[in-house]
Amino acid sequence: MNNLRWQRWLFGAALIVLMLFTLFPFYWAIVASLTSDAALFRNPAIMGFILAVTMFPQISIVSPLYLLLRSLHLIDTYPGLIMPYMTFAMPLTVWVLTGSIRQIPKDLEEAAHVDGATRRQSFTKILLPLAVPSLATTGILTFIYCWNEFLFALSFTLGPERQTVPVAIALFRGQYQVPWGEILAAAVVATAPVAAMVLVFQRRIVQGLTAGAVKG
Amino acid sequence: MLTFSGSALGAEGTLVARQLQRFMQLNPGIHVELQRTPDDASQRHQLYVQWLNARVGNPSILQLDVVWTPEFAAAGWVLPLDKYAPARGEFFPATITANTWAGKLYALPWFADVGLLYRRTDLVPNEPKTLEEMVKNAQAAMARRGGPRYGIVWQGARYEGLITGFVEYLGAFGGRIIDEKGEVVVNRPEAVRALEFMRDELYATHVAPLDVLTWHEEEARFAFQNGNAAFMRNWPYPVAAMSDTAQSKVAGKFAVSPMPASGTAPNGHSTAALGGAQLAINAYTQHPDAAYKLIAYLTAPEQMLERAQAVGQYPTRPALYDDARLRGAVAIPLDNARRAIESATPRPVTPIYTELSEILQIELHRALVRQAEPREALNSAAARINALIDRTGMRKLMSGATKDSTPSGTSPAASSTVGHAE
Amino acid sequence: MKKISRLGHEARLGWTLVAPALSVIALIAIFPLGWTFWESLHLHELRMPWLGKPFVGLANYVEIAKDPRFWAALGHTAFFTVVSISLELVIGLFLALAMNRVFRGRGFVRAAVLVPWAIPTVVAALLWRFIFESQGGIANALLVDAGILKQPMVWFIQTSTAWVPVILSDVWKTTPFVALLLLAGLQNIDLTLYEAAAVDGANAWWQLRHITLPLLKPAILVTLIFRTLDGFRVFDLIYVLTGGGPGTSTEPVALYTFNALLQNLRFGYGSALSVVIFAITFGLAIFYVRGLGVRLGGEE
Repeated sequence: MNNLRWQRWLFGAALIVLMLFTLFPFYWAIVASLTSDAALFRNPAIMGFILAVTMFPQISIVSPLYLLLRSLHLIDTYPGLIMPYMTFAMPLTVWVLTGSIRQIPKDLEEAAHVDGATRRQSFTKILLPLAVPSLATTGILTFIYCWNEFLFALSFTLGPERQTVPVAIALFRGQYQVPWGEILAAAVVATAPVAAMVLVFQRRIVQGLTAGAVKG
Repeated sequence: MLTFSGSALGAEGTLVARQLQRFMQLNPGIHVELQRTPDDASQRHQLYVQWLNARVGNPSILQLDVVWTPEFAAAGWVLPLDKYAPARGEFFPATITANTWAGKLYALPWFADVGLLYRRTDLVPNEPKTLEEMVKNAQAAMARRGGPRYGIVWQGARYEGLITGFVEYLGAFGGRIIDEKGEVVVNRPEAVRALEFMRDELYATHVAPLDVLTWHEEEARFAFQNGNAAFMRNWPYPVAAMSDTAQSKVAGKFAVSPMPASGTAPNGHSTAALGGAQLAINAYTQHPDAAYKLIAYLTAPEQMLERAQAVGQYPTRPALYDDARLRGAVAIPLDNARRAIESATPRPVTPIYTELSEILQIELHRALVRQAEPREALNSAAARINALIDRTGMRKLMSGATKDSTPSGTSPAASSTVGHAE
Repeated sequence: MKKISRLGHEARLGWTLVAPALSVIALIAIFPLGWTFWESLHLHELRMPWLGKPFVGLANYVEIAKDPRFWAALGHTAFFTVVSISLELVIGLFLALAMNRVFRGRGFVRAAVLVPWAIPTVVAALLWRFIFESQGGIANALLVDAGILKQPMVWFIQTSTAWVPVILSDVWKTTPFVALLLLAGLQNIDLTLYEAAAVDGANAWWQLRHITLPLLKPAILVTLIFRTLDGFRVFDLIYVLTGGGPGTSTEPVALYTFNALLQNLRFGYGSALSVVIFAITFGLAIFYVRGLGVRLGGEE
């Protein structure tokens, strides 16, 4: 169990970094969607394409992706994992966010504009706060997806420095044996950060439209 | 710089690290690194396929399950070893056969797993000589007051383990899956009787619970270890856990022997399914000679002995079984162990084994859950396997020119397999 | 059709910001898609390299069309997806409505609700397997005690009962995700609408039917789309729980594809299977978009 804990720490550290890097590109792309009035994301071709990305079963994609990443020398590196995660977690994020952004009434922005607010001000003071619940939601969904993703992590990492939690758990299994105690312990340790994140975010998630923002 | 792919779990991990260290000391020019791969066979297989398909040279040494060698050999992913003149005769013949494809040896047997019959010595003091006797013993044990819930437990889920169990019953009745000529014979009367016998254990004599149809190795082990079964069919690995008085209710109360033959079949013989691991050289490695040195080292007698002592895995060299040092290491009497390995039967040695096995698994399981009659299921299996062989053009390769090209000194008819072809 | 140059500064800014991300996605997504399409048109058996890699056109697809195991797998997948999604939507909606209310300790409730979804799939599958495993297992014990079952049964050896743990575990695991998505949608509904309706004397049920559900439609549709796509690609769960058994009666298409690709090493055939799965999910997405009125294009 000690051996396990020590390794866990390594994995955990690697993971946190991984997660941070994963979330950043997302948010950044989301920012873009907000600034351009989501015009970009009203383009059916783009939305359709983004959605199509999730239509292949993962196991079909693993082999060609491995070949691609290998030719780019990205096996067993952070970018090598981040890029696929970004790609396959993005569709959901984009769809949820554009959906909720579209529901933010135009009048708010126009009112702000009339009041002399610059584009940036209307973005940071009006749009962003209203988008926070959806951002929080998709943030959690993405985080959990990356945290628990197994197949890509197994295939694209080689050593303990880059392996993620689900891979570590898989490595506990013997050929026949399933060391229940260790696996459940690992699962608890693995779930703890996620649960913590949720606790932190849940307030954001449920922030509704503050009454009065629209009326009057 | 070599990479060795292997388990790094627990005692085995420590052992491998130690042996690699020694190897490096003996061979100063070679540096070896251990690359951890999952122990779960199908995950490891998946990773190997990905790597080899991309022609990656690492890991330089692959740890293959016994049924993978012909597949990897045919795909050109592992190197033939004949040019290094390995001492084939020093290994058990069945293990060499399993690693030979198209007349060439592609991997060295590292350790052997064999299917064994475990029995409760307090309930069944004497080793049953036939399958029928085993069933009677099981029934008697169950009938006793305070007797166990189950007579016998085995792995009956729809997976490879089912085939290994079936192979044992098959041999007990004198049947085979594929004969020396490459003909599919899994639907012959002997095979049907074997399958019927398994099914009867479930529905006629009731010595096996229906649960076994979803069990893998661990579930069967739990049942036996908790004292709920009189007999168990399993690999050697449970012995350690079951001898541990802290967690096992049957410590000191069980014995192990090979699965018996059927008393009613003239050609039946005691059979153990052959499992275990082999070491092969990645065809894309830059250092094949160094890699061979490593695998020769790891399969040398001293290392095998050390492995037996450290983790209780059975060596694949018959000579070691005369060595007194092995006695304490292998937890069952040496004689039983040797008998079991000598009666070990490899499963069909062919690159299409996984597909073949899948077909057979499905049909066997259907018969066992009573979705089909044994005869019908096996006929269907035979037909589909034949179609598979024809579709993949394996027929020619598998119908061995029985001109045996293996220069092994001892190769009795334990070659119940196909694979010697030209 | 608006030209980019006419859109002006804002849109160009938008494009500039997303271009790098989009190009990464394009690379990561398009390459495997293209590769798979290409492979599916060839005979490529890794085990038999001497056969080469001949171009065989649509032969793999013809083989799929004639393969009864494929059609069966398709049926299983469809069955699984429909049943799971239905249950998840209903329970998820209920959960979302509950989470929307203010009550003490709701933070913890929300966190607790998400735990099943946070557990790695393999671990969750193993847990559920353990529960339904043997005649002495937890599920049997509970059901027999409650009098629902007369005697313990072996769940995994009959098709009909083998689906129960599969669907249950998927619903247990994914309902939180659905609830979260629906909750996000609920947040966007203007509370004043409810107040107005209450003033007019409408009861909770009416409010649900005429205010909540219609306004939740976009969120429901997003959920439907993604859950359908996920359901069609289900793999880990069934692999661990039943392995596709008994026989092949719980085998979904993704598991069959896995077998073909990575166990039997038939890359050509396996790629064709993947393309077929893609085509089916693509068709479903189009159906959702057109048939159920999700608007991909602009609203104004």
